[in-house]
Amino acid sequence: MVTRRRTWLAGILSAAACVLIVATGNALAQEKPRYGGELVFPVPSEPPSYDAHREQTFGVIHPVAPHYNGLLRFDPTDPTGTKPAPDLAESWTVSSDGLVYTFKLRQGVKFHDGNEMTSKDVKASYDKIIFPPEGVVSDRKGQYGVVKAVEAPDPYTVVFRLKWPTVSFLGSLASPWNWIYRADILAKDPHWYETHINGTGPFLFVEHVKGSHWVGKRNPDYWDKGKPYLDGYRALFIKSSAAQVAAVRGERAHIQFRGFTPADRDTLKAALGDKITVAEAPWDCLLMVVPNQQKKPFGDKRVRRALTLALDRYAGSKALSRIAIVKEVAGVQVPGTPYATPPDELAKLAGYGKDINAARDEARKLLKEAGAEGLSFTFTNRGVPMPYEPVAVWLIDQWRQIGVTVKQEVVEAAAYYTTLKKGEFDVAMDFQCGYTVEPDLDLYKFTSRSKNPSNYGFYEDPVLDDLYEKQSRATDVEARKKFVRAFEKRLLDEEAHYLMTLQWHRIIPHSSKVKGWQITPSHYLNNMLDTVWLTDGPTH
Amino acid sequence: MWRFVINRFLLMIPTLLGVALIIFLLLRVIPGDVVEAKFMSGEGSGASAEVLAAERARLGLDKPVWEQFAIWMWGVVRLDFGISMWTGAPIGDEIALRFALSLQVALMATVIATLLALPLGVLAALKQDTWIDYAVRIFSIAGLAMPSFWLGILMILGFLIFFRWVPPMVYTPFWVDPWQNLVQLIWPALAVGYRYSAVATRMTRSSMLEVLREDYIRTARAKGLWLKLILVRHALKNAMLPVVTVIGLEFAFLLGGLVVTEQVFNLNGLGLLFVQAIARRDYTLTQALVLLVASAFIVVNFLMDIMYAWLDPRIRYR
Repeated sequence: MVTRRRTWLAGILSAAACVLIVATGNALAQEKPRYGGELVFPVPSEPPSYDAHREQTFGVIHPVAPHYNGLLRFDPTDPTGTKPAPDLAESWTVSSDGLVYTFKLRQGVKFHDGNEMTSKDVKASYDKIIFPPEGVVSDRKGQYGVVKAVEAPDPYTVVFRLKWPTVSFLGSLASPWNWIYRADILAKDPHWYETHINGTGPFLFVEHVKGSHWVGKRNPDYWDKGKPYLDGYRALFIKSSAAQVAAVRGERAHIQFRGFTPADRDTLKAALGDKITVAEAPWDCLLMVVPNQQKKPFGDKRVRRALTLALDRYAGSKALSRIAIVKEVAGVQVPGTPYATPPDELAKLAGYGKDINAARDEARKLLKEAGAEGLSFTFTNRGVPMPYEPVAVWLIDQWRQIGVTVKQEVVEAAAYYTTLKKGEFDVAMDFQCGYTVEPDLDLYKFTSRSKNPSNYGFYEDPVLDDLYEKQSRATDVEARKKFVRAFEKRLLDEEAHYLMTLQWHRIIPHSSKVKGWQITPSHYLNNMLDTVWLTDGPTH
Repeated sequence: MWRFVINRFLLMIPTLLGVALIIFLLLRVIPGDVVEAKFMSGEGSGASAEVLAAERARLGLDKPVWEQFAIWMWGVVRLDFGISMWTGAPIGDEIALRFALSLQVALMATVIATLLALPLGVLAALKQDTWIDYAVRIFSIAGLAMPSFWLGILMILGFLIFFRWVPPMVYTPFWVDPWQNLVQLIWPALAVGYRYSAVATRMTRSSMLEVLREDYIRTARAKGLWLKLILVRHALKNAMLPVVTVIGLEFAFLLGGLVVTEQVFNLNGLGLLFVQAIARRDYTLTQALVLLVASAFIVVNFLMDIMYAWLDPRIRYR
């Protein structure tokens, strides 16, 4: 009875959420933005440094992004977060061979210190990212292996010369991590931006009290006239999820941009009713199971296929989405995005069929053929409760149903990847999260170990590597889709190198006063706050 | 007395050196380091081996362990604790930022605990086995049984459900806005102070019971002295020795030990910093915090020793 009532309640809430997303979209189109107010939001992490070129955590993006612009950005109104749009570049052209990208920059854009932004700043910033000088860490250097040179032929033109044509290049330039810094400052001290702020963005830096908060105020000289709408913003560093929920529930904060759990959403909705608007979307983050192919019997693809065939992902989605931040059944791309495999086609892959009994019979048969009947192993999991814990419990139960006995070993988060890198595990949980849904970014992880050190399956697969190269260099979208599908089939079905669990699901219950913000599949996007406005003044 | 003070002060040096050596080695033994925690445990795609090596070299982690220890100790001797390996900020700044808050919560909790514990403990001892004694014992056992973070969660939930209010999330120093400061910190101080008072109440009660059975109390009563005078001048002062010990040690613990309570109330204190520093393998910051807490314990113990002499004139230090 309780379960039925909860299901019913969850259904109502989901429907309400959908209606609210649509309603928000309509409101965005109809309502005229209001000026003023301070947006307050908790951030569950904190910036290790202020330099996005070197950092990985959203703890940098959420509080610091409003001070900066990129060359391009992802269209802040696009719910898929995949459409590159102008930011400091107002237009661009691509040569017929796809090897030269020429960008025209906006004129009259000023850094917060009053200096004009020109092409030499863009070049210096991208040189730092792609060709970092000695002693400078660039976490994204590897993503720009395609770039041969960056040139600044005149103050308002930037040219990127590529080694080979790639359709993903504009998306790479729209990365939320590639903030444009001042060339003169970088020339004097390439580490300056690790501890200082000086961008061209819509908000000026006011203060950062470590462990407590970050404050920004409206940039009156912002190049996009009329924006931003807010007087300022205040990011509160709150680690505890209960305290984050309390902050929103107590109306001390408007929104948390990363995501809450289904239970948090329901609590907030029940407590605040119309004062809360819920936005939901598939999340470009995924937990994956990686069998260590250096260890027997996981080098045998029959065993790996059996493990994926055992998973009833559709039933798992129903059960887990009520308690954890996972939901969609997906392949290698987030559902609903341009290169995602349609559900009917996905169902043809091992472990994605609708007849779970047949799949499990086949799994048992494969284990028998491989001489691995009564298989038992240790599943290494990361010591992060949500969603690692519930997903692991689900996996272990699924494998039990084909006669596999699994013991879970939880490793503390900071030491987790050391365990994986050393290959000290049988089967482990792995993770991938991106700033945009783009095959070049999403598939690289699965290429051979010799090419990619974050392949923890320790396999070599030249066929997969070749498919990766082909999809990356395909200039025709349909042709690229075919390569992506072939890659997916080989990765998840024929070889079962990795086993996908469920796509994460992003839930943002926020104050209904917050307008002009669009949820996307990435919590790294839409944090510049230039389009955000409040229906009234500050909360407190 | 001065000889005692100097001796105790000199004893601090080998104690702190031992603590420093143990924590330095322990941190190097546990798996992972700050570079992996920063670049490999986040949500990004993972960094290359070159990036990790460059960062280790920048932080001096590529040097032999003995050399790292020597460099750190040379800094400690000059009161230069280095920079945080995670944020790059000076350790002194990282700690100073949180110290005022942690010290204030510890002081407020100590005041609350003392104000509750002394009268309740004495009252329970005087009214032993009456309903007053039972009530005080139930109150103190409840305090012992209830973790302070749990009481804090109940407080927050109560505020949200009944008043739709939560305490401020950002620390305002007392000298900037006393009202805002107290509105934020009184709740964690109450939550922590209650548990703290429970320990002290039970200690006061049992210590008072012991003292009240002493011959000199019987003699004083037989002489017809005023009960209040007997209690204050003869009983309470003598019963205070173990109570002062408990209060002092709890105070030192509170400076760096309020980890979960700080999370519940979102306090930017030393306890949370401690846990984050360990989780991030921020060696320099963890080492400095351990030294700070160890120093706090040593100083509090030292002050308690001095207080013993005042409470019990029979105690003489040589």
